[in-house]
Amino acid sequence: MSEKGKGASTGGGKERSFLHAAGSNIWYFFNSLKLTLGVLITLALVSIIGTVIEQNQPVEQYLAAYGERWTGIIFKTGLHNMYHSWWFLALLAMLALNIVVCTFERFPPKWKSLLNHIPDKFDPRLIEKLAHNKTVTVNTSASTAVERMSKALKKKGYCISQSGSGSESFIYAWRGRVGRLGSDFVHISLLLILLGAIIGSYSGFKSFDAVYVGDLMKVPTAEFKLRLDKFWIDYYDTGQVRQYNSMITIVEDGKEVLTKQIWVNEPLSYKGIRFYQSSYGMAWNRVEEAQIGVRKKGSEEVTDVFTIKWNEKANVPGTPYDVKLVGYTADYEYDKAKGIVTSKSAEPNNPAVMFEIYEGADMIGGALVFLNHPGLYPSLPESANADLVFGGYKGIMYSGISINKDPGTNVVWAGSLVMGLGFYLAFFVYHRRVWVHVRQTGKSAEVKFGGMINKNTLALERELDDIADSIVSDR
Amino acid sequence: MILSLVFFTFSLVFYFITALLYLGHWIFKKKWIGQTATAMSFVALMSTSMILISRAGESGHAPFSNLWESMMLFIWATNIGYLIMEYKHKFKVLGVAVMTFEFLAMLSAFALPYKFKSAEPLNPALQSKWHWMSDLLARWDLQSYAIGWLDFHVFATFVGYAGFAIAFGLSIIYIFKERQETGVSTSRLMAAFPDARIIDELSYRAIAWGFPFLTVGIISGAVWADYAWGTYWSWDPKETWSLITWFVYAAYLHARVTRGWRGRKAAWISIAGFLAVIFLYWGVSFILPGLHAYA
Repeated sequence: MSEKGKGASTGGGKERSFLHAAGSNIWYFFNSLKLTLGVLITLALVSIIGTVIEQNQPVEQYLAAYGERWTGIIFKTGLHNMYHSWWFLALLAMLALNIVVCTFERFPPKWKSLLNHIPDKFDPRLIEKLAHNKTVTVNTSASTAVERMSKALKKKGYCISQSGSGSESFIYAWRGRVGRLGSDFVHISLLLILLGAIIGSYSGFKSFDAVYVGDLMKVPTAEFKLRLDKFWIDYYDTGQVRQYNSMITIVEDGKEVLTKQIWVNEPLSYKGIRFYQSSYGMAWNRVEEAQIGVRKKGSEEVTDVFTIKWNEKANVPGTPYDVKLVGYTADYEYDKAKGIVTSKSAEPNNPAVMFEIYEGADMIGGALVFLNHPGLYPSLPESANADLVFGGYKGIMYSGISINKDPGTNVVWAGSLVMGLGFYLAFFVYHRRVWVHVRQTGKSAEVKFGGMINKNTLALERELDDIADSIVSDR
Repeated sequence: MILSLVFFTFSLVFYFITALLYLGHWIFKKKWIGQTATAMSFVALMSTSMILISRAGESGHAPFSNLWESMMLFIWATNIGYLIMEYKHKFKVLGVAVMTFEFLAMLSAFALPYKFKSAEPLNPALQSKWHWMSDLLARWDLQSYAIGWLDFHVFATFVGYAGFAIAFGLSIIYIFKERQETGVSTSRLMAAFPDARIIDELSYRAIAWGFPFLTVGIISGAVWADYAWGTYWSWDPKETWSLITWFVYAAYLHARVTRGWRGRKAAWISIAGFLAVIFLYWGVSFILPGLHAYA
C-alpha cells in the first residue's frame, strides 16, 4: 500500500541525517495517492462493521447476541463504539495528514504555474505531441486566420496571448484556471469539517430535561432559565399526530427575554444553546388540581364535592378541617427503605393524592387517598365522621426538551460551503489551454492547434472541432 | 383509484418498451430503432413526471416522503440524466444499460408492498419547511407544498444516486468493452459500443455529477438532523452507509488520477460504489435499524 521510498539523506551530521531521513520517509509516506486510496477503501470497509454491530448498547445486549468470548473482543477493540475508537480516529487522522502533506506538496507549484502560465514563446512542434490537436488549412492570409482564431477562441470564453506577426504567429489561450483550485478547496473543507467536529466534541454538551407547564428549568452552564408556558399536540383530521409544540420563554435575571413556539424541526436558539422539542407526557408526581368528595362514615353516598389546587388549602365542607394538596403519585408505591412514596411507572395505574390536614393554623395530620380504592385508609379525624374521596384530577403536561450546545457546528457548515464551492470548481470548471501556430503557406494559411484540459477530454475535443469549423468557414 | 398508481402502471409499460427498443437498437444497429427509443424514453420521462405531480396532489406535500416516492424521483432523475448525456454525446447505444436498469428499478418499485406506496401525511419529524418558502406560497394558499431541508436532502441525494446509476451501467459496459479491445473477447456486440476510453470518460462525468450531489445530500441531511435532533451526525446506519458510499466514490476519483488504478480498477470501484448505493438505499431501510426506517 505504501510507497515507502528511501529519502535522500543530505549529509550534515549523522544524527541529523537520520532524523532527516526518517522525517522525509514519513513525509513521503503521507504524500501518496496510493495511501489516500488505501485509507479511503479501509475506512469504507471498516465502517460497515459499526452498522452491523449495534453501537453503544448495554453490555447485556452484546452478551445475548454474541456470547461472552465475542463480547470480550468487541469491548477490547472498541467495536461497541467504533466510530470513536482510537483506531478509527487514527484512520481519520491519517486521512487528514495525507491531505495536509499532499496540499503542502502540490499546492505551491500549482499556484506558481497558474500565475506564470503565459509562455514567452513555444515550440510549434509541441502542438503535434498534444493528445488533442488539429491542423487545418484556411484559404486566407495568415493575419486573417489569426484574427479568426482569436475571435473563435474569445467567443468560447478564452483569454488569449498573441505573439509573432506577419507570416508566423503564435497564440496561447486559456480558460477556467481557477478550476484547478477546486480539489484544494475540497481538501481544505474536509479539514475544516474535521476541525468543527473536534471543537464540538471538546467544548459542546448535550443534555435533556423535562419541564412542567408553568415551571422554570435550569439550563446547564447558562445564566438564564427556561419556562414552559404551554405544551400541545396538533392532529390531522385522520387523528394522526401532526406536530408536538411547546411555547417556551427564556427568563434571564427574573425578566422574560423572549418567547417562542418550538416543535420538532424548529428549535429555539439563545446564546449558542439550542432547545429542541423531544418528548412529552403527563407528570407522575404532580397534578394541577384534584376533585375531592366527602362521604359520611358508613354511607356510600358522596355529598360535597370540591376542587383543590396543587399546594393550596381548602375547607372540607361540613367539617372544621382544612386540607392542603401536597402530593400526587400516578402509580402508587411505598419505598420502605427510604420511607417515601414513589411511582412504579409514569402511567396512572393507581393514582393517589396526599393531603396535609389542618385545624385552624395547626397541622394535625396527613391523609393518603386513592382513586381506585376509596376509603382504604381513614383520612379525617374521628370527630369529623367523614372520609375524603379522590374523584378526579387535572394532570400537568411536561415537555421533554433536549438542550445542546455545539460551537463546532458553524465551523462544519463553513466547511460545507467551502466544499460546495470546491466541487463546483473541481467538476464543472475545466482548465483548458490551447496553443495555436499560424503559418503562411503560399496563398493560404496553415493553422496548427492543440489543447489540454484537466478534466472532461470529450468537452475539449468538441470545442476544438467547433473552433476548426468556425475558422474555416468564418462563422 | 389513485391517479399516481395509474401513471405508474403506464410508466412501467413505457420503460419496458424503452428498454426493449434500446436493446433492439444495440443488436440490430438500426437508426430508426434508436430514434424511437429516444422518443420513448422521453415519453417515459413525461409519464414519470406525472407520477410525481399527481402524487404531490394526493399527499398534499412534496412527493419525496416514502420509499416508493423516492424510487419515482430516482427513476425520473436517472432518465433526465441519461437523456442529457445522450443529447450531449450522441451515443444512443449506451442507453441499453441505463434503460434496462430503469425498467428493473420500476419493477422493484412495483414489487413493494402497498404500505410503502400509499400517500401519507407527514409525521412530525418529517415536517421541515423553509419559512420563507411557506410564507411565499401562503399567498396562494399552497403553503403545504413548501419544501425544506428534508426535501432538499432527499432531492439532492437521489440526483446523486441517479448519477451513480448511470455510471454503474457505463462501468459494466466498460469492463466488457475493455476485454474486447484488449482482445480477451471478440464479441461483435461489444464492438457496437464507443471506445472504452470514451465510456470511462462518460462514467466519470456521471460520477462528477453524482458525487457533489451526494455530498450536498449528506450535508443537507446533517442540517436537517441538526434542526430535528440537535446533532448533525449520529452514526446511524443510513448516515454511516452514505459516508461509506462517499468514501468509495472518493476512492474512485483518486483512482482515476493514480497510476495503475485507472481504467479497469476504477470501473470496478464505480461498480462497488453503486452496490453500496443499493445497500444504502434498500438494504439499510429493510435490514438495519435506525432513524431512517421510513425510507
